[in-house]
Amino acid sequence: MTSLTDRYLAATLRAVPAARREEIATELRGSIEDMIDGRRADGRDAEAAEREVLTELGNPAQLAARYADRRLQLIGPTYYLAWERLMKLLLSFIPALVGVIVGLVEATDGNSGDAVGAGIGAAIQTVVQIGFWVTLVFAVLERTNTSLNLPAWTVDQLQEDYVNRQIKPVDTVAAIGWLVLVIAYLPLQHFHSFVPGNDGENLPILDPALWSFWLPFLIAVLVATIGLELAKFRAGRWTWPLVGVNAALDLAFAVPVIWLVSTDRLLNPDFVNRWEWLSREENLNNVATFVIVGTVLITAWDVIDSSIKAYRGRQ
Amino acid sequence: MGSDEVLRTHLQELRRGTVVVASLIALRHPDYGYALLQRLTGHGFPVDANTLYPLLRRLEEQGLLTSEWNTEESRPRKFYRTSDEGESVLRRLLDDLAAVQTSLTGLIEGVGR
Repeated sequence: MTSLTDRYLAATLRAVPAARREEIATELRGSIEDMIDGRRADGRDAEAAEREVLTELGNPAQLAARYADRRLQLIGPTYYLAWERLMKLLLSFIPALVGVIVGLVEATDGNSGDAVGAGIGAAIQTVVQIGFWVTLVFAVLERTNTSLNLPAWTVDQLQEDYVNRQIKPVDTVAAIGWLVLVIAYLPLQHFHSFVPGNDGENLPILDPALWSFWLPFLIAVLVATIGLELAKFRAGRWTWPLVGVNAALDLAFAVPVIWLVSTDRLLNPDFVNRWEWLSREENLNNVATFVIVGTVLITAWDVIDSSIKAYRGRQ
Repeated sequence: MGSDEVLRTHLQELRRGTVVVASLIALRHPDYGYALLQRLTGHGFPVDANTLYPLLRRLEEQGLLTSEWNTEESRPRKFYRTSDEGESVLRRLLDDLAAVQTSLTGLIEGVGR
């Protein structure tokens, strides 16, 4: 049976670079024996003295790290802030984006029931992958002392009026959340509208013919609007270029919708005929008028509201 | 109490650098790890063994200490001695320590007035 000292030395030396192992072993064994002798001179018995000395030296892994001058941290202060920033940046939109794309692909493949689950699963996997790889890269940088050559911080980076910024994070998150829901709903209603046809099959609410161009176009406009929300958040307030892009995107969405509604091409004819009330000419026209007026009002309000905010927030 | 913990960490911070200075002074006379530990403790520099032993190796790698194995006694011992380079670094460190003390004295008198 090996002594406690032998086992302690083995545990320590395992984590010390091989080149210096033997020398450290001889020196450390001598030091431990010196310490034990010192305690025995005070009247302790050999076994108790050995236990006390090894307890005092502490965890072998920690002692070895001190010998090897190794860092007992995954990411130290040099890299932590850069790591944190990159993580926040990547996690803020990539998982959601991947989730939506995977969900859409799944839905257009005809598996609408699995689309939401597949999207969420893909988003979670993306979070794990980003977290792992970014952390791994920074942990390696930490150990190789690689310089990131990041630009040094300057006072010019201080954001003006950060506390009273016009665009609050919660507003941006809510706006993007809505846009994602709408984008997800467009393919979802095609495969799973919860409206059964006369034969029990699924009835899309919007005219399936629109998938050839207009629905992908509207989805593209909504995705661009997500980009606008992010740009707005970065700017922290409404600027005139943002107002212009916002108005253009509003029109790119509203004009096709109004035109499709007024030419009776938005709703699925089978869906309309399914309801006796809706299939009557005057009722359908009333619904169309209602949708058109609503779209015009919402669009006008959004453009005016953003202009007022840009005017108030001008510098 | 929390204040004991606060005091302990501040004292630890204050003492941290002095272990190097004390070791460089003490090793003007060559000595091995455990004996140095005893001497430092005896002169009011209590230092943990698991801090001192790796520190001696690090100072040696930095060229501030030289070492020599002594195999004449019952067990082989590595004797460290402050090198010429270590001596010049030590002098700079002692000057700085004195400067800190002077500044503190000046500050205390200035505030007391």
